[in-house]
Order: sequence, then structure tokens, then C-alpha cells
Amino acid sequence: MRTYVLRRLLQVIPLLLGISIFTFLLLQLAPGDFLNTMAENPTVSAERLEAMRHSFGLDKPWYIQYGLYLKNLFLHFDFGESFARHQKVTAILREGVLNTLLLAAAAALVTWGLAIPLGVWAAVRQYSWVDKGLAVFGVVGLSVPEVLSGLLLLMLAASTGWFPVGGMRSIDYDQLDMAGKALDLLRHMALPALVVGLTPLAGRMRQMRGNLLDVLRLDYVTTARAKGLSEGVVVFKHALRNAINPLITLFGYTLGALVSGSLVVEIIFSWPGLGRITFDAILTQDQYLVLGAVMMASFVLVLGNLVADLLLAVADPRIAYD
Amino acid sequence: MWRGRYFLGLSLLAVWLMGTAGCGGKANTASAYVDPHPLPIDTLTVDVPEIGTHGGRFVLAQTQPPRTFNSIMANESSSYDVTDGRLYTTLVDFNNAAQTLTPQLAKSWEISPDGRVSTWHLRRGAAFTDGHPITSEDVLFSFEVYMDDSLHVALYDFLRPYGRKFELSAPDSYTVVIKIAGPYAMLVPIVASVYVHPKHMLERAYRSGTFASAYNVGTPPESIVTSGPWKLKEYVPNEKTVLTRNPYWCGVDARGQRLPYLDELVYLIVPNQDTAALKFDAGEVDALDDVKPENYETYEKGHQKGNFTFYDLGPALNTNFFFFNLNRVRDGKAGKRIGSTYVDPVKYAWFSNRDFRRAVSKAIDRDAIIKSVYHGYAVKNWSTTTPGNKIWGSPQPDGYDYDPEGAKRLIAGLGWKDTNGDGVIEDTRGNPVRFSMKTNSSNLMRVASMNFIKDDLAKIGVQVDASPLDFNSLITSLRTDFQYESVLLGFQSGTPPDPGMSQNVYRSSGMTHYWNVRQPKPETPAEARIDALVEANVNTIDMTERKRTFGEIQRLVNEECYFIWLPAMVYKVPVRNRFGNVHPTVIPHRVIWNIDKVFVKLNGTRA
Repeated sequence: MRTYVLRRLLQVIPLLLGISIFTFLLLQLAPGDFLNTMAENPTVSAERLEAMRHSFGLDKPWYIQYGLYLKNLFLHFDFGESFARHQKVTAILREGVLNTLLLAAAAALVTWGLAIPLGVWAAVRQYSWVDKGLAVFGVVGLSVPEVLSGLLLLMLAASTGWFPVGGMRSIDYDQLDMAGKALDLLRHMALPALVVGLTPLAGRMRQMRGNLLDVLRLDYVTTARAKGLSEGVVVFKHALRNAINPLITLFGYTLGALVSGSLVVEIIFSWPGLGRITFDAILTQDQYLVLGAVMMASFVLVLGNLVADLLLAVADPRIAYD
Repeated sequence: MWRGRYFLGLSLLAVWLMGTAGCGGKANTASAYVDPHPLPIDTLTVDVPEIGTHGGRFVLAQTQPPRTFNSIMANESSSYDVTDGRLYTTLVDFNNAAQTLTPQLAKSWEISPDGRVSTWHLRRGAAFTDGHPITSEDVLFSFEVYMDDSLHVALYDFLRPYGRKFELSAPDSYTVVIKIAGPYAMLVPIVASVYVHPKHMLERAYRSGTFASAYNVGTPPESIVTSGPWKLKEYVPNEKTVLTRNPYWCGVDARGQRLPYLDELVYLIVPNQDTAALKFDAGEVDALDDVKPENYETYEKGHQKGNFTFYDLGPALNTNFFFFNLNRVRDGKAGKRIGSTYVDPVKYAWFSNRDFRRAVSKAIDRDAIIKSVYHGYAVKNWSTTTPGNKIWGSPQPDGYDYDPEGAKRLIAGLGWKDTNGDGVIEDTRGNPVRFSMKTNSSNLMRVASMNFIKDDLAKIGVQVDASPLDFNSLITSLRTDFQYESVLLGFQSGTPPDPGMSQNVYRSSGMTHYWNVRQPKPETPAEARIDALVEANVNTIDMTERKRTFGEIQRLVNEECYFIWLPAMVYKVPVRNRFGNVHPTVIPHRVIWNIDKVFVKLNGTRA
């Protein structure tokens, strides 16, 4: 097991290296550079632009820039500095990653907290109005894009005042007590988490229903019922344990995708996460910040996949890594 | 059974979240502010329309976060909004409303008759946010950084009139003497642009070469010491910036109460203008400083319900125009012969023809653009200084306005006509007159204007291929590879909005002399004449003479039709009624330029 994890983690290094080269090349191919943002300001002179280009190292050819980046990365574990903010890339990413993870966790709670019980409910009441209603809900959930549901909910918040219009904390957050802070965070988090969580919900719910239906048809379930066990015990103790396996794998995969998948929602709801930092960095061509953000997102994705594989081994004794 | 409880729990949570909605905000109690420090000897007594009381908070939305709290290294308005005039102040202040320069940290100054020596008397008792007195040492240090050769900050070129740097000395702690090589019109405007930074905090960073990253957004707020009316209280990345009063600020009202009145100034960071508008509607934000003209009607109608006033700020100082590419290859790198034109020589012949440019300008129906693109909220503008500029904006120079018949006559005079009947005219050699126009797709009003221009020019038989593209690509065409035929763009106005700030536009050697940048020597007699006039305009302190030379510059530029001018937008912004002394201006920072004088009215209802 340990060697397996170690091997998987070592595989990350060449992967990240490849991703960084690819990202760097794409950034080079994009027209212009960071200094283009100053173009409409007539007080900025050509000499000033040259001086800045030199101090950022942007006057060097791309392979030298990339070489220097790698050197600093391997020798000093230094991910470089943001051009716009004169700050270490790692410090900037640290700001965002926790907020993004918080939103991702809340969204996961929405997805899985609803998907499993709703899926079970639909399965045990197959072809009833509940099942049909949930099927319609699933279709709608799958087909409405995040941008639309996000904007609609934001407008709802603005017109009713039930929820704050985006952001993560109220201005008075610091003056609140612990319970107040938690409540404030929850209120801000509710809508974005709902939007991020609802999209995968429909799929997971249908999956849960399908799996459980398959299992409920098996002989051992009939045996359990024949023994005279109550329907609750049959479904939750005997069938669910077996039906949930494929969902555990999916859980791990969504873990990674949640971090990179909340970009749109973060922008709509002014959520101060990794998505907005990355988006701004791409727009301004703040190249080392883009590189850092992309590598971070890739790393979380790989980590999520690893967790999925490990969880599977824990849940299913038939699977073992050595 | 458990299912019931589970869903009941979820729905209770949802109701609880919604039910607690209204009680998020802190009750705005008027906590009496007790000034902990004695007033300075030389107070800056400010004339406020209404005497206010201390307390309260003003919330504004920003669509980009500040990138640094170091005013000297800032390059974008999201940083200036926080640093310039708020965290840092200058010897001379620019009054946005009157558009004049007034004493600030310098209580007075004298300029010798020949304009070479100026003496600045600092206010005694003025102090940084940590209580450290602001002295001539800090002024000298700040100028030294602004004039640094390797940092090369934006003001650098302006601090070198006649090619020689400002020479500063400090006869005592409260006197600064500036020597320059000759009379210089930009002396006071430039002094008004040099923000005073604390020597005792920043000198070490400057000497060790780490000034660029000093006072970055990761610096703990308590170690950021600044000279302005405000100090940094808190910065939460991508969420908000909170400023609170500088307890040592030298500004007081007529009753001797220290400014600012407000306890806090909050900049909420939002992703875009639309979210800002939603937050304003929801009452989370107290003002907007950028509203699209298409939404003006909504705010006009909603001001009573929303308890705000929709202020008309008049024409913007930012301009809109397009121009043709007359640039020549200056170095051999582009794979072209030095001196050859970047555009097709056939097209160069059209673009460099003054009558063609005049015909194009005459073909454009600016009233239609104002009506459709700006919903009526724009004015015609014919200069880098728009009618919104109180000192330099009038009289406006003449320009070639809409006259389709006149445009056709000019074209006929060139001998160009539609020989094959396809609706597009051909030049004397039979080339169809057709060119492309680029603008940045992110600016919807520019894109809309471009479509009007295309239709207008089609009416005189000139075909335009409109091509909106990403801002970075546009700037690369414009600055680096010169692969364009015409570009629709705008200039942001500098502050103070003196034409001397636009030297780079008019000088043939300038980088924003867009139609033909960085000429080693002026290529046309008109440009040579303009160069000489710019020199004369800047190197004098005689205002009548400056007005005359600038008028002449504008006349020449418009006679040649280098810029095909387009209308300038009229700005309107909403601000809540519960604040007193609100006076938004069209010059940035539109709503908050006088925020140290703004206060919360006691009888005002919380919106």
C-alpha cells in the first residue's frame, strides 16, 4: 500500500513538469504580455515599459525564462513572483485555496447529502410519482448550466434580500461572535454551494437509484426479505452497502474536479477563491501566477484520483494494492 | 421515519438561513469619536458645505482588487483608488470639482519670476499614520524614488524638464526648494502628483533594491505607514479593503473637528459592474462609480425608492477616436526594409492623404452614435481635452463634423469613383477603397460605434471591415508588430488633466503618437510644427501663452485629421442620500475624491 501511494505521488512530478511546459508555451503563444495592460495610459513612456520588461525578465527568450523558472523551482522551491502584485505566487495561491476548498466541501455536502437519500428514495419507490418527479428534476439539473442557475439565484438574492449578493463574509464579520461568524459564512456560502453542488447531484442521484435497483433484484436481498427482516433493514443494511461502491470512486474524482470546476461560480458570486485569482491572472497575463495556479489545480486533481482509489480499497475488501 | 427528519432538518436549515437575512448589518450607532491627539500647529482647514459629525462607514465596489499599497509602484486604477489621495497625500492637492490646484501638505509656495526656483513651506505638525512627523526629509526621499533611474516610474519623464532632473534641497525640516533648468508649466501639476511616502519606513527597502515589493498587498496593515487622511485597517484578498482615519491627519473643518468624518471606507471587491449594480440595489453598497448609459433610465426612475441621488457629472475626460496606421519600419527585425510602410503601400497612399482622412471624418454621423450607442448621454469632442475639462476643454477646436455631401466632394476631388458599380469606390489605379478597423471587443460601446462607422463610410463608397478583438491582441498590433490599418481606441485622462500630461500623444517621438510612433525626427512639416508648439507649451509658466500654443496644437492636429474624433460619454452615478457633502466628479476617483469630507447624516434612514 505504502509503495503504491509513493509510486503514484512520484508520477505526479513528470506530469506537473509537462503541464507547466504546456501552460508556459500557451502563455507565450497568446498575444502580448503583462505590460499590455498599461497601453491606454499616455503617461507611461517607452523607457518605463522597457525598464519594467527588463525587471520582469520578459525581454529574455521564452526558453531562458522557463529555464530560470525551473531552476528556482527545483533549487529553492520558489514558484516565482506575481508581476502585478510583487508578491510570491505561493502566498497569493494560499489565500485562495482554502476558500475554494471550503466552497468545494460545502458543494460536496449538497451533492452527496442529497444524492444518496434521494437516489434511495427513488429506487424503493420505483415508478411512483416520487421517482418520476425526481427523474424530471434530474433532467433539469443536468441541463441547466451553472452560469444560468448562478445568475438567477444572484438576482433572487438581490431582489428579495434573503441572501447576500455574492461575497464570502459580511463587512462586520470581525465583530461577530463564533456562532455569528459561522452563520454569516453559511449564508454567503448557501447559494454558490447550491449551484456547484446541484450540477453533479442529478447524475449521482440517478446512479444511486440504478445501483440500488440492481442490488435489490439480487437473490440475497430476496433471502433477507424471506427471513422476515424489516424493509428498512433490508434496504439500508444489506443492499445499500453493496450498491454504494461505484459512488465512492466517483466521490474521489469529483473531489479533484470541484476545485477546478467552481471557477464560473466563484466569479458570479464574488467568491475569493482560486478560480478568480486564476481568471484575473490569465486576463492580465501574469504568467508565473497562471503557472502556479494551473499546477496547483492539477495537483489537487491527481490527489483526488488517488484518494478515490484508496477509498475504494477501504470500502471493498476485494481490491488491494501492493 | 429518518427520511422525514432528514428533509425536515434540511428545510429548517434553509428557512433559518433566510430568516436571519435582515440582521446581518451592524446597527449604525453614532459612536462619538474622541480625538486622541492634539491638532497640529498648521491645520489644513477645509471649507466643507456642511459641518458633519464623526462616525459611520461608506461602502464602494471595485471590480479589480488593489495590487499594491505602494503608490509609487502602482500601475492600475484599482490600486490608485486606494492609494492616491486616500492613503497618501501630496504637497499640492487637485480639487476635482473646481479642477484647480490647492495647498495640501505644503501650506504655501513661491516660484521665482524666471520659474527656475520654487520654495515650498510644509505644514508643521502634519504626521504619518504612526505619528511620525512629515518633514522635508520625507519629501526629498519621495522625489528621489520617483526620479530613480532603475525603477523608472510613470512620472519619471515629467520630472526631467530640459533633460535634467529636479534638484531638491531642504534648508530646514519644513522647507523644500526645487530647482529646475527653466520655466516649466508642469511644475505644480507634477508636484501635485508626487505622493509623500515615509522615509523612516521605506528607506531601507529602497537602498536594498526591494522597493518594488515593499508595501505589497501581503504586508500586514499595521506596518503600512502612510501620509494621507486614511490608513489601511484591513485587506482581505479578493474580498475587501478597509481604510480607517489617520488619527494624525492635519485636515480639520471650520469647527476644528479633525477629518475624515467617517470611521471606515470600505472597498468591496466584486467580479464585474453588474454585480456591483446588484449590490447597490440590495443596499450593500453606497454608491456606484461606473454605470452604463443604457441603465441611466432605470436609475433616474428608481432614485426615490432606492433613497439615492443620480448625479449628472457631465462629459467624461476620457476620449474616443480612430486613426490610420502611418507607421514605418524602424529596425530591420520585422523582415522588412527600414523605412518601408507597415501597411500596403496602396493603402498608405490613401491614409497619408489629408483629404481622405477629412472625408472619412465628414462621413461619420456623430449625432446618430450619441443617440444609439450612448442613449443620448454623450457629447461631441474634438480634442484630447474634452468639454468636461474646465480649464482646457473650451473653446473646443473645430473638427470635420458630419457632412456626407462634403465627404463625397472630397472623394471626387481625389479622382476616386465607383467604376464597376459594386457600391465601393476605386482609387485612380482601380484599387477598391477598403480597409480594416480593429478595436477591443471587451468595450461594447467601441464595438457598437465601429458598426456605425462602417455603415456611414459605406454611404460614401468606402468599405470597412470591422474586427473586434481581444485587448491584448489589439495592443500587440498597436505597439509591437503594427499589423493594423486603423484602430478605434481612447485615452484615459491624467490627473491633473493638463495637456502637458498628453505630451506623448502630440510629440512625434512619443509612444502614444499612435498614427506614427517614435519618429526619429518629425516626418511631416505639420508634426515638426506640433513638436515645437508642445515644447513651447510645456516650457513656460505663462498661462495665456500656454492657451495659445495648445489651441494651435489642437488646430493643427484637427486640420490634418490625424485623429477621427468620436463622442465623449456623459457620466452619471448614484450615491445614497444618507451621506452629506457628497460631490461626485467626472474626474477619478469620481465618488470618493472628497470622501474625507463626507459624513453620515443623523436623520438619514439606513438604505
